[in-house]
Parts: sequence; C-alpha cells; structure tokens
Amino acid sequence: MLVTPYPLAPRGVFHYIVIQVNDSFLTEATSETVSLAPADRERLDRFYEHVVAQADTFVGYPCAGDFDYSELHRFLAFPLNNVGDPFDQCTYHLHTRAFEQEVLTWFAELMHAPDDEWWGYVTNGGTEGNLYGLYLARELYPEGMVYYSQDTHYSVSKNLRLLRMPHIMIRSRENGEIDYEDLRETLRIHRDVPPILFANIGTTMKEGHDDIGRFQAILRELAIPAHYIHCDAALCGMTLPFIPGAPVFDFRAGIDSLSISGHKFIGSPIPCGVVLARKAAVDRIARSIEYVGTLDTTITGSRNAIAPLYLWYAIRRWSREGFIARITTCLERADYTVQSFRQIGIEAWRNPHAITVVIPKPPTAVLEKWQIAVHEDCGHILVMPHITRAKIDELVADIVAARKEAA
Amino acid sequence: MKQITIVTESRRGLTADIAGLLAEEGINIETLDAEEVEGADVVTLTVDRYNRALAALRDGGYPAVTEDAMLVRIEDEPGALAKVAVRFKEADIPVRSIRIIRRRNGFGIVAISTERTEAAKELVRDLLIAE
Repeated sequence: MLVTPYPLAPRGVFHYIVIQVNDSFLTEATSETVSLAPADRERLDRFYEHVVAQADTFVGYPCAGDFDYSELHRFLAFPLNNVGDPFDQCTYHLHTRAFEQEVLTWFAELMHAPDDEWWGYVTNGGTEGNLYGLYLARELYPEGMVYYSQDTHYSVSKNLRLLRMPHIMIRSRENGEIDYEDLRETLRIHRDVPPILFANIGTTMKEGHDDIGRFQAILRELAIPAHYIHCDAALCGMTLPFIPGAPVFDFRAGIDSLSISGHKFIGSPIPCGVVLARKAAVDRIARSIEYVGTLDTTITGSRNAIAPLYLWYAIRRWSREGFIARITTCLERADYTVQSFRQIGIEAWRNPHAITVVIPKPPTAVLEKWQIAVHEDCGHILVMPHITRAKIDELVADIVAARKEAA
Repeated sequence: MKQITIVTESRRGLTADIAGLLAEEGINIETLDAEEVEGADVVTLTVDRYNRALAALRDGGYPAVTEDAMLVRIEDEPGALAKVAVRFKEADIPVRSIRIIRRRNGFGIVAISTERTEAAKELVRDLLIAE
C-alpha cells in the first residue's frame, strides 16, 4: 500500500490518498473515516492517567511543567518542517523559519553574540547542540584534544565517540565544577595540541558552573592561542542571565559556541534547544564541505518546526522580566528546600545561583514514589518553576515517614 | 578471548550476583578474577558472548569497561593524570580517551584507551589494574 500526502488540509484535517495496489483501485481515506479501535482508545486513556499521576511527583529532573501552549495546538494538524539551514530559502513552504529566526535572535542577544557574527538553529535538545559544537571544533581543529570534567553529562562521551575525537577527562571538585589545577597541568603537557574545552554551565547532578574566565586565564598563562571553548548551558543558559551577579559564560567571555535546552527552564512538551556559534567558524566548515555538493549546516536535514513556535510563544509571553521573576521565585524556593531538609537533619546544599538542591540518597520508599535522580550516594531536587513550597513540604514529610519506618 | 572489567563498590556476593546475571542471559563465563582496589571491587571476566554480556551488565547496573581500555590506579590529586598522559606523549602513542571511573580514598581508577594498547600497557605497567 502506498500512502501519499494529499495537497491542502481543510479544517485542519490532513488527508491522505491511499492507493491499494493489490486491488487495483484508488480510494480516499481521511482521519474522519479511519479511526482507532476502542481498545486502542482505552489504552491511550490509561496512558494519559499514568502521565498525569507521574507528573505529580516529578521533582528530580530539570524540566519545567508549568507551560500552556494550547493556542499552538492547531498547528499540529500540518506537516511543518524547518528542513536545513534556518536562514536559507526553502521550496518547502510549510515551515516556521521566520519564528525560528526571531527565537535565535533573541537568544543571540541574551548571550551577547556579536551582531551579524553569529549563526545557530533550534535543535532537538542539549545533546544535539553539544554535538554540533564539538563537530564545529573538530572541523576547525582536526588534531585537537577535548578536555571535559568528570561531572559532564554522559551524552558528551557518546558524542565524542561518535565524532571520534580524542579526549581526556579532568577531575571535578566536590561542588561539580572542574578542577582548574588538574586542567592546567594536563593542558601544560599537551600545549602543542589545540585544546577543545568543553565547559559545563550547570552540571547534571550538582549544577556546578565551570568558570570561563579561569579557562581563559590558563590558556593565556600557557600561551595557547589556538583553542575552542564550547559551553553546555542546557539548564543555566536560561537561569544565569536573569540572576544579578551571576558568572558570565557567554560570548563576552570569549567562547566559540554554546547549547541551551528549551524544554528545561522554559518548558516545552517536545525536547528542544538552541545552538549558537560564531559565524566565521561556521562559514569555514561550510566551505570545507562544499566538495560533497551541499552547504547543509545543521546536523539533521528535516527539523522540528513546532519547537520554534513553542520557544517563540514562551519568550513572547514571558519576556525578560517574566524570566527574571520566574528564576527569582525558583531561587527562593530552592533556599526554602535547603532549609526544610536541614530542619529534619538532612545535610542539603546548593551551589551559588543554583536551583539544584543536593541531598544524600533518599530511602528506597521515597524513590519509589518520587522521581528523584540519584548518582552514587547523592540525589537532587530540581526546584523548577512548577515545584511549589507545598510540594517540597510533601516530599520532606514522606522522607520523615520513611526514616521513621526504617527506624 | 575478549575481556570485560567491572569496577564497582566493594561488597560481599558481588561475583555471585554477576555470575547469576550472566547465567540468566545464557552467557558462559570462561574466566573470572576479582581484586579489591581502594575500596572498589575490580572484576575481570572473559565470556563466550561478549556483546550480549556487555549489554546484560549495563542493564544490570554494572559499569563495564571493554578490553579496548586499560585500567590504571593513580593518586587522586591535581596533575596525577597529566603525569600518566605525558608518558604516552613522550612515547608517541596517541591517546583516544582518558576517563575517570572512580575516585575514592585518595586514589582514582582511570580507563585509558590508546592507538597501541600493548605498547601502552608496557608504559604504565607499574600502575595497571586487572591486567
């Protein structure tokens, strides 16, 4: 059976022509005439109930759950696709490139990218942004060595393997930040090889921030002019810019590229993110791949066109002032969380400017109910915008009860 | 015979648990050695179905290191890894990856992968774990 899309979509219903080759006849089927079996509908209903229940105890992952994009639901009725470079012309007209360009411009301004000297696109999430940054670095410095800290997200190891880039892991400090002395000593030995520094602007477990200023100081001290710095700012790319006195990690600090997630602090039903890089670097690699007959600059060809709409909607709805209010509330609640745990004798802590509260690994009974990520002997609470004081109180009460039960 | 190494918290019954896990998957263990290194158990095994074993160990929560990497024990202090890296540099052995597996009790266990495994092993023989 061949299924081909039928041109226009009246009333938001996408039609298909179904060609039944075996029976040698053509018939038209639409979503109005082809529907799910009752058992399948029931399965979806059960799954919906499961999702609603699970969302209630979602406290250990950095994804905001307080969004409402219902005004955008109507666009889900179309096969939108932002294929290829968001700044190129395209013969596929069902796209949201104008919105994507506005989103990218907003992020570029937020990250202090030099006017007209940046490039980027909306990704499928932080990992793709990091993959793009590392890919760019490898094309610029094929002989380069990647340095990244022990607390780096596991997906980076995967990316490095995919790109076949040599790498050395550097020790982390207790707070999750990279050990600068270890970095300096390792760079000193390999100073003839261009370093590609992978900086964490918010590590997964402890939200530790690597200090780009210290990276630059080490590179100057060791007289290493040729280098590349990529920032994984998955969560904190949308928190630190709105916190007075927070460390600077963006293009002002001399970085070459960065990746920010859209489904984390902003919140989105679809994983998404943004990657930004210096245009001069992107142009150099675009030239280098001309021999394959394409200037396709994005990792994937077909790209999600709904995600840029979500991001555009969120940044128009919240604006910078809204995001400042949002992070201020989260920081207050993170403080409340630390105090609440300490009051019951649990040594909770958080890094400066962080909304991640680190605690000792909670009892099994608590982990069975609450979605809390654990690593070795610690766990963490992500005080995202949907985490209220009442939710923290409920979690703390469950931990107290579990400890009583165990005693 | 390909080798797999597991580095995990030292505890009683660990080797029995690993053997049970692999047996459930129908994987035969050809050899199995275990040693304690600074509070960690380092279990080295060879099996008849290498890829299946790696997947089963991963799913069972055991961090497995493949035979492409060698494990070394270093002091947990800034620059310690750099001192190891310099040996490879001076011997002109390209490093693919250096990955910290565990840090505890003032020591670190590190997995190193190079272009020339046997020559690299000779260079760090004094630091090798689970040869």
